[in-house]
This record gives sequence, C-alpha cells and structure tokens, in this order.
Amino acid sequence: MKLIIGGYAQGKLNYVLKRLSSRSYQVWDGEIPEQPKQMKTDLDTLVIINHFSCWVRKCIEKGGCPEEEIICFLECYPDVVIISDEIGCGIVPMEAFEREYRERTGRLLTELAERAEEVERVICGIGQRIK
Amino acid sequence: MMTLVIGGSGSGKSAYAENCLIQMAEGKKKYYLATMQVLDEEGQKRIERHRRLRSGKGFLTIEQPTAVQNALTKMEAGEKTALLECISNLTANEMFAGGKIWSGKSVADRIIRGIEQLKAQLSHLVIVGNNVFEDGMLYDETTMEYIRTMGSIQTALVDLADEVVEVVAGIPIVHKGQEV
Repeated sequence: MKLIIGGYAQGKLNYVLKRLSSRSYQVWDGEIPEQPKQMKTDLDTLVIINHFSCWVRKCIEKGGCPEEEIICFLECYPDVVIISDEIGCGIVPMEAFEREYRERTGRLLTELAERAEEVERVICGIGQRIK
Repeated sequence: MMTLVIGGSGSGKSAYAENCLIQMAEGKKKYYLATMQVLDEEGQKRIERHRRLRSGKGFLTIEQPTAVQNALTKMEAGEKTALLECISNLTANEMFAGGKIWSGKSVADRIIRGIEQLKAQLSHLVIVGNNVFEDGMLYDETTMEYIRTMGSIQTALVDLADEVVEVVAGIPIVHKGQEV
C-alpha cells in the first residue's frame, strides 16, 4: 500500500496518475469497493482510493467503523494507493462531530502510514517522499 | 537543549514528543507540564488518553495551565527535563485568563519569557506545538488574534529551539537541527 497525503486541492491524484506508466487503474472517489474479494479477478488493475478522508466522514456518519473497515479492505487488497487530505492543521472545530472526524482521520492516517511501504506528501503538486 | 515538535490534530506529535524526551532524559527526572484545563467529559477523555500513553514511562505530572515558569518551583533540585504540552492550550489559557481577553502581544511575551526560563533551568525541554494555520477559514476577530498569536509564539520558539520536528501521520520531518 502506498499513502499520499497533503492539503486540499494540491494535485495529489494527478501526481499519482502521472507516475503510473501504462498500468491500468481504477479510481474510487470517496469510497472503497464494498466487495474487495471480487476485485481479485483483475490483479493487474491498480486500485486508487481518492478522497479517503471523505470516505472516513461518510463511514462515521453511517455509524460504521472506518478503522476496522479499511484494515479489512487492505487485507484483501494490499496493493492499493490511498490518497487523503490532511485535515488536522486548523482550529479545533466547534462541533463535536467535526472534532471526532478530524481526530479519527488523523489517527487513521498515522496507522496507514505505519503500514504503508511508501508515504508521500504532496504540496502544490510537488511530492516529498517521507517514508 | 530545546526541541519543538509541531503537527496537526491526530498526527502522533505527542507520542513522538514523549519518546524524544525519554531518549534524551537518560535517567534524569522527567516532568510533564500539563496545560489542559478540563471543561467537559470530552476533555476528560482526552486527558485520560494522554495519561494512558504516558503511563509507565516515568513522567511526573505538574498541572500548569498558565505561567509555565512557575512549574520550576514544583520540581526537585538536580538535573531534570520536561515535556510541555501544548502551546495551543497554553495560549488559550493565557489569552482568556481571569475572564478577560488579553492582547496577543502580551500573551506571546508572557509565554515566550516563561519558556526561556524553563529552557535555562532544564537540561532538556521538549515542547509540543500545534499547526492550527491551514484550514483556510476566516473566524471571528478573537480567534484570528489567537491564530496570529500562536504563529508569533511558535516562530519565536523556533529561534529558541535547537531542534524543530514536524510530525506528519506519525512520521517525523526535521526542519531544524538533527533528529535524535
């Protein structure tokens, strides 16, 4: 698994796509495939999860557990690129839900970074390999 | 020796800062200067999480929500080290101390002077700062003043610090000095 993080609108997806060479890919935007096992039929296709933080938000809103669901997904499909906004660098939000979302996303990204073979941080379209 | 650790919410900066001090303390006393004031259950949970993280690591906790230099009078004699957590709570506590709103300038001066005194008396000081600067939102004037004050304090602390480390998703990125 590769993790790409950075601020909003920093060109993270383009950064990933430009470096793909000729490999086929599919982009899941703000969601993860629900039936990861079925996707194993086509292992050549690179799965890219874009807007990971949006998926985390939706998952918490639905009362799900993003921490468990993403690990479950990665066990079935370890060769994946996850792209996420960094959302923790601001003022503590007034609303409890926003605080929870921000904190859980931060901790999740830390967990993913720990598991990732590579972590890159993208600022203004420029990537910096931090792991 | 002083290390400033900065990062966003949930970035793993506290865990990094603790390990940093543990490595540098080398058997000296380790004080944890806690600045957070408990206002509700969420705050209580946050404090408990931090206590769990620290438990068994040999930190002696001093509650010091304002006037951080006063923590020195609560420490034993001899060589000692401390972890000050964190600048965002400290700034808010100083800014709204005694039910008033203090000017950003006076708050920044008080905090920087306090930290200079700590640095002078400790063999190692690790400070946890916060990146509160990148959500692109326009807040009310008091909050904007708070953000500017945080910015001026942390910019001054970078000058005082021997090392500055940013923690991103648990990964340390060194901006000043050598990583330990």
